[in-house]
Amino acid sequence: MPTIELNGTTYAVDDDGFLEDPAIWNDRVAADLALTERIETLTDDQWKVVRYLRTYYLEFGIAPMIRKLCKETGFKLAQIYEMFPSGPAKGACKVAGLPKPTGCV
Amino acid sequence: MSLIYLDNAATSFPKPEDTYVFMDRFYRSHGVNPGRSGYDLCMEAGQLVDDTRKLLTAFFNGTDPNRLVFSYNSTDALNLALFGMIGRGDHVVTTALEHNAVLRPLHHLSVEGGVEVEHVPFDARGFVDPGEIARRFKANTRLVAVNHASNVIGTVQPIAEIGRLCRERDIRLVVDASQTAGKLPIDVQAMNIDVLAFTGHKSLMGPTGIGGMYVREGVEIRHTRAGGTGVRSAQRSHLDEYPWRLEYGTPNVVGIAGLHAGLKWILERGLASIEAHEMRLLRMLVEGLRAVAGVTLYCQDDLADHIAVMIFNIDGFEAGDTGTVLDVDHDIACRTGLHCAPRVHEQIGTDRIHGAVRLGIGPFNTDDHIAAAIRAVREIAASRARA
Repeated sequence: MPTIELNGTTYAVDDDGFLEDPAIWNDRVAADLALTERIETLTDDQWKVVRYLRTYYLEFGIAPMIRKLCKETGFKLAQIYEMFPSGPAKGACKVAGLPKPTGCV
Repeated sequence: MSLIYLDNAATSFPKPEDTYVFMDRFYRSHGVNPGRSGYDLCMEAGQLVDDTRKLLTAFFNGTDPNRLVFSYNSTDALNLALFGMIGRGDHVVTTALEHNAVLRPLHHLSVEGGVEVEHVPFDARGFVDPGEIARRFKANTRLVAVNHASNVIGTVQPIAEIGRLCRERDIRLVVDASQTAGKLPIDVQAMNIDVLAFTGHKSLMGPTGIGGMYVREGVEIRHTRAGGTGVRSAQRSHLDEYPWRLEYGTPNVVGIAGLHAGLKWILERGLASIEAHEMRLLRMLVEGLRAVAGVTLYCQDDLADHIAVMIFNIDGFEAGDTGTVLDVDHDIACRTGLHCAPRVHEQIGTDRIHGAVRLGIGPFNTDDHIAAAIRAVREIAASRARA
């Protein structure tokens, strides 16, 4: 199983770098995973996206659709790409500790 | 905001109101199995099928409506043609511009059927040199398969010249007119086309699920399927006569009705008028995108011999991501990726960046749509420059 070391912690991840166990996620893990997106410190806007994704995932077990993500957070998708260079699925969902989305975002 | 549809190269949308209305009316009043029985309604339904054959035959300047056969779409017609015309030991010349509708049947014929296939590249402007095709001819060359216009870069190939060279050597020319039937004039006689494959749901303004091909008199395609034809049921083998030779089972009569209405709509407006409208919008689009920093266009330097299809990329942004932002932030529908034509992207190098963004213009697009698309791409490119 692939692993990745961030800030001295080793995480088990899938082939695309998503957490193998979403349950271990917490704010510190998010901050560590953000380094994979070259984000040194998550801003309030980035946290807003991450927390929305996390909350939605915990409630529904999947990632939200992109249009819903934009509507609920108030960000345009282009802004989310500016915040997370890999985009909402490969970037923001990874930081939020979700499994790799198969569709939706 | 309502959707701006710029994915007409995938399928035209919306269809003319005439198409929707006629399909609904015809299927309600004549939704029987055409040509299978002798009652009046059945004969009338069969008449529409025959009338549509005649309309399409005339539209492509064919000579025998029985050689206009219906299929599900271009891919279906091309499969019937390719698998029915070539076999082990034959040599086929095709191009790097082809859609998988041609590439994949030829791949399987090559790998499993002992057919030798050569792919001729296109030049920097996106055109195949007929002379280069002819230089590939060998004693066992049986067939040339060429896309009339690329579904990726929109370039229109010199079919008449390719056809002339094929005819000189008694080599069959199969043309994939998926992108051009209903967009450009096609004359199968003047262009020396042996088999012309078309789909109904793109520029012919019909629904999905209906297409066909015109097979020139003297050209024979082996039937690779067999089944009901509605005539001579006692015969054990499939019929050799056209159109039944290449038609199997109950036809898509409601699809044919839609194709009939779509074609009539085109004939009323005139191909030249539709093409002029779409090409004016393409020039506007290309000029607008050329001026956007960070945008790369491909094979769009000269729009002569083009249809209104183009691709682009934004520096540092994958095509799929651009397409998603166009959709979510700007309500613009486009097509991203490799467009079922991987060799085009391999030759221009966009396969390494997961393809490109394609915009396909249709008759219902407007100046406002194009202006909105240019604004959207400019905004996305600026956003990427900041990221």
